[in-house]
Amino acid sequence: MTIKTNLTRRSFLQTSAAAAAASGLAAPLIAQDRVLKIGSYGGYFEDSFKQYVYPGFTEATGITVESVTQPNSADWLITMQQAAMAGTVPADLSLYARDTLIKASREEGLLAPLDMSKVPAASQLDPYFVFEDSPGVLGVGAMSWFSSMVINPDEIDAPASWADFWNTEIFEASLGIARRYNAGFMDVIAATFFDGEETFATNEGIIAITEKAAELKPNVALWWSAESQMEQAMKNLDVVAGTYYHDVAGIMAADGFPILSMFPKEGCVQDYGSWCLSGLSEKGAEAAEFVNYSSTPEVQAIMSRMIGTAPLLPQEATDLTDEEFAAVSGSPSIRPAYGAYLDNETFIQETWDAMLAEG
Amino acid sequence: MSLSTAEDLPTPAPIVVREPSLWFKLGLVALLALLCLVPFLFVLTISFGHKIEGAGWAFGFEFSHYKRFFLGATWPETFQSLYIQRLGYSLFFAAIGAVIAVALAFPFTYFLTRMSRRAQTVWLVVLLSSLSLSEVFIVMGWDILLSARSGLPALLDGIGFTDLMKDLGWFQWFRDVGLASPRAFKFKTSGFATVLCMAYLVWPYAVILLYPALSRLDPALVEAARTMGARPGQVVRTVVLPSVRLPLFGSTLLLFVFLLGTYVTISVFADPSQHTLAVSIYDSVRGSTLNAPFGAAQSVILLITAGLFLIAGQKLSKAGGTA
Repeated sequence: MTIKTNLTRRSFLQTSAAAAAASGLAAPLIAQDRVLKIGSYGGYFEDSFKQYVYPGFTEATGITVESVTQPNSADWLITMQQAAMAGTVPADLSLYARDTLIKASREEGLLAPLDMSKVPAASQLDPYFVFEDSPGVLGVGAMSWFSSMVINPDEIDAPASWADFWNTEIFEASLGIARRYNAGFMDVIAATFFDGEETFATNEGIIAITEKAAELKPNVALWWSAESQMEQAMKNLDVVAGTYYHDVAGIMAADGFPILSMFPKEGCVQDYGSWCLSGLSEKGAEAAEFVNYSSTPEVQAIMSRMIGTAPLLPQEATDLTDEEFAAVSGSPSIRPAYGAYLDNETFIQETWDAMLAEG
Repeated sequence: MSLSTAEDLPTPAPIVVREPSLWFKLGLVALLALLCLVPFLFVLTISFGHKIEGAGWAFGFEFSHYKRFFLGATWPETFQSLYIQRLGYSLFFAAIGAVIAVALAFPFTYFLTRMSRRAQTVWLVVLLSSLSLSEVFIVMGWDILLSARSGLPALLDGIGFTDLMKDLGWFQWFRDVGLASPRAFKFKTSGFATVLCMAYLVWPYAVILLYPALSRLDPALVEAARTMGARPGQVVRTVVLPSVRLPLFGSTLLLFVFLLGTYVTISVFADPSQHTLAVSIYDSVRGSTLNAPFGAAQSVILLITAGLFLIAGQKLSKAGGTA
């Protein structure tokens, strides 16, 4: 039922966007031929793209961008699956987090390889951000973000390590931690107490991680699933520390709320979004041009300044100042155990949920 | 005389009405099938589908998701009662929420039906319009009302109740039952907040469901009982309650089934250890595992459970009606 509603709303958005494009932009014929539909997460995020990234791209290449709203990556993948079955292309380029990208790559025909000869700028990115599978490069990093440790500096002193969260004398019923098994907290535990990503290789390792998480339960006041829950809880003093998005915490702090996003010695969890070309899209050439544009150091820096995402290049490659870089990025970076999350997802999810469900 | 008049009267009217009513009925059945049966069959079909680990799912015919529900994914190595526990919490919260809503709605509606016509209209319009608020709005409202800085904990702190409890040494008790942090009271997340919000959610429905029955209640009955010397409490217990016990039971059952599917309230106010099947279904279908077959299997089980309760309710109320 929900799927249906979403579809209708989305197709409505699409038609209205198309109508707006047709009526509003009486662009020259050539530009009209070269149109690219790009998906991005809605709201502030999408607005920033429309304001700071797409106009520069149109100016540089003459290709008009039609912005498409994605709710997030996982739900958008369902929409794209259904669209592919129906033979439609809601967006030529979609933005997928890495786990969703790998999932999409495993479904035949859902993604088309990008013509990398037209994306020279991607060679400057850390190879980690360029996802290659048998048909070719299926995803090129767009931007990245960190799930960091946040604290209320008015209430507590900054901990040096994630391990401090387990101290009940300081944190009893005071933490807000992401609830979903793949939200990054398992990776934090693996990096803090075990051997990092390797720990996920065996079921025993996964059980050890969940058992460590179970010890934290007396200190967790809120296991949040929606971003807004944690935002409200930090603002309202329901929690005084926890996990949250580094960039959003920075914006909240700039608005005057007592929140400090920080990197303890083990680091924070880094996830990233990739541009992926729809398997049915006929705009492969335009898409490659956009991916190239978005991979350039200049545009990476624009996104960091204006949207708050971490660049996929080292700071030296961009013209970001130390302060600007620290606002969106940091080190060390904990990289999620994507492989295990996918290949062993049922076991990990059930073990984690069962741990949370114990009274 | 009267008999012959009755025989003389032509009675074609009902027959004329009956003819199109057959088509009308068939149409209704078709519509019902389209709206209820087809989606249900679709969900049922998906629940037998095959989950591809690390990717999506495909149509198939296997019982693995039902097995997972009752025994866990890793059975027979280990046994997992996680989903049965969640079904239990679905029933638990829905039952308590429905009972509280009806218990609070009953006295309100009783006095409402004793008000002037005009006052009744105003109240009913207000109640009906409050139904237009979605669950999300209501949860947001309670979220703020129960927050540490802006809501009830701040109020308790402001009037000195928190300090009083700390001085008396009773504060520890609230911490033990999970209603306080070392600093102050906290109601999120708690079973208290969950039940409160769920009862609030269906309270207007309870009033509207009880209103017809209570407004039909003959005031003469109450007056007669009072004249014969019964105290007000006695009147309610022995006259009013028995005469509306069927509507009371029926509304509770309806609201119970309605609350089985509550999602937002649970995901915001309930601790993960008290999450219900609705949360689990959402996590399976829309979450990152893309496990629609398992979500569908859980939905089918929830639906069957709701159906069983409705049938049992029907049987009970029939038995109660004849007794």
